[in-house]
Amino acid sequence: MTALTHNEGNVDMELSRRNFVKAAAGATGLLLLKPAASALAQNSQKQDDLAMLVDVTKCVSCWWCYAACKDYNKLPETIKPDPENPPVLSNDVWTTLMPVKSGTEWHSRKQACNHCTVAACVEVCPTGALSYNELGFVQYEKEKCSGCGYCAEFCPFGVPQLESSGVTSISLMNKCTFCKDRVSNGEQTACAAACTTGAIEFGKRADLVTEGKERVASLSQTNGKAALYGERELGGLHVMYVLDDIPEVYGLPSDPEAPPAVMARGLFKWLGVGAALAAIAGFGLNYLIARMRMVKGGNE
Amino acid sequence: MIEPRVIERFKKRTIWFHWVHTVAFLILIITGAILFVPGLGGVAAGGLTRVIHRIAVVVFVGAPIVYLPFNFKKSLHFIKETLTWGADDIKWVGKAPDYYFGGEEEKMLPQGHINTGQKMWQLVILITGVIFCITGLIMWFFRDTVTPGVFQWSVIGHEVAFILAFTMLLVHVYLGVIHPRMTESMRSMLDGKVSKHYARSHYGKWYDEISAREEE
Repeated sequence: MTALTHNEGNVDMELSRRNFVKAAAGATGLLLLKPAASALAQNSQKQDDLAMLVDVTKCVSCWWCYAACKDYNKLPETIKPDPENPPVLSNDVWTTLMPVKSGTEWHSRKQACNHCTVAACVEVCPTGALSYNELGFVQYEKEKCSGCGYCAEFCPFGVPQLESSGVTSISLMNKCTFCKDRVSNGEQTACAAACTTGAIEFGKRADLVTEGKERVASLSQTNGKAALYGERELGGLHVMYVLDDIPEVYGLPSDPEAPPAVMARGLFKWLGVGAALAAIAGFGLNYLIARMRMVKGGNE
Repeated sequence: MIEPRVIERFKKRTIWFHWVHTVAFLILIITGAILFVPGLGGVAAGGLTRVIHRIAVVVFVGAPIVYLPFNFKKSLHFIKETLTWGADDIKWVGKAPDYYFGGEEEKMLPQGHINTGQKMWQLVILITGVIFCITGLIMWFFRDTVTPGVFQWSVIGHEVAFILAFTMLLVHVYLGVIHPRMTESMRSMLDGKVSKHYARSHYGKWYDEISAREEE
């Protein structure tokens, strides 16, 4: 099943399937399929969705975004950011740079949660710790996390980080929070505010799409590979990238998809609820009829 | 008329095994299914329920492992019986709706120590048990070894097995405890005994076998 591709037509099909699932939910009066319902409510970016636009051609690898993220989120400084051996995403690294040599030049792609519109992590999160914020980003409430790690296994970008102890697996997930406290109060994300060159821009998603396209148009005059990444991918990312090479060079899949298992999961959830309800209704009916016939037949 | 319940249907250790397994399974169900009930998912926050889930599974898998060597022949018979299906089982399925909806007792085929329906339940336990164990082991121990795809389908496999096992558990509990025809079923799982009448009418073949054995 090729649901959730960057092709808009497919997104529409996907959404109508979700509509159907939701209608079925209403019919049984049970809204247990939280993921489909929540995705439906957020199925496309709204006008005031917030986002970031990361322009790799403007990044000079100063690591201020990395430092600002650590500072604002009070994460311990454990690794010295070294371009030769850059820190990777981990429990205390929520954003980092991925240095890439492009021709003779070095560029870095800022790497963190991309805040998908149709986010596999939200769909599979059993406890509601991951959810869609009304401002568009993927909100994470750590106090609700059970540490199951499904998000880490289903994310097409490998963003959520989880250190698990082999026996108990007690350990909570960590990822970029989109600086919820800041952006809810009209401030920029810490990384965008710290960016020295304007490589990370923060603003309304709609404006940033326009701006990203303009940047790509101007880059395209000298570079045929320039492209805007994230406009449509996974329903539209809330962190988009102006790239000067194919996405894979920057560690981004060119056609990211939420794993098909996500959809299968939504379906089976309803199958489970349906089977249990059918069984219980069947018992009631069976009891009444069996009892009546047995009394009548005197073979009680 | 109350008949004395004199026929031994289950041995004490089998009853113990049944209830230890039951309690472990209920804990597994509660700590697992809680993740899917909106509003209750938060109970899992912090991961304590997962630890309980893992302790319970040790009991759930450990119980049959402990039981098996002490009841080796019986256990082998149980597995063989569960996997052997024949024309009589198909006939049973044809007659089951009328029987379970209160039709005449005599129309039902005489059954052995367990009937075809109970065999279905045993089969579901065996099959889902294997699926639960394989997918559970992957998620518990091999998260870092397997590909994300394998992990993802393990999650689904675990959930599908749950749907199957849980639905059949509901049927098992309903028939054992509530169904108007199964008057001695639950008590036989507590003290191991049923009356002659119950044995004859519910498990005719088995009753004939044990009567013949007694006469010898």
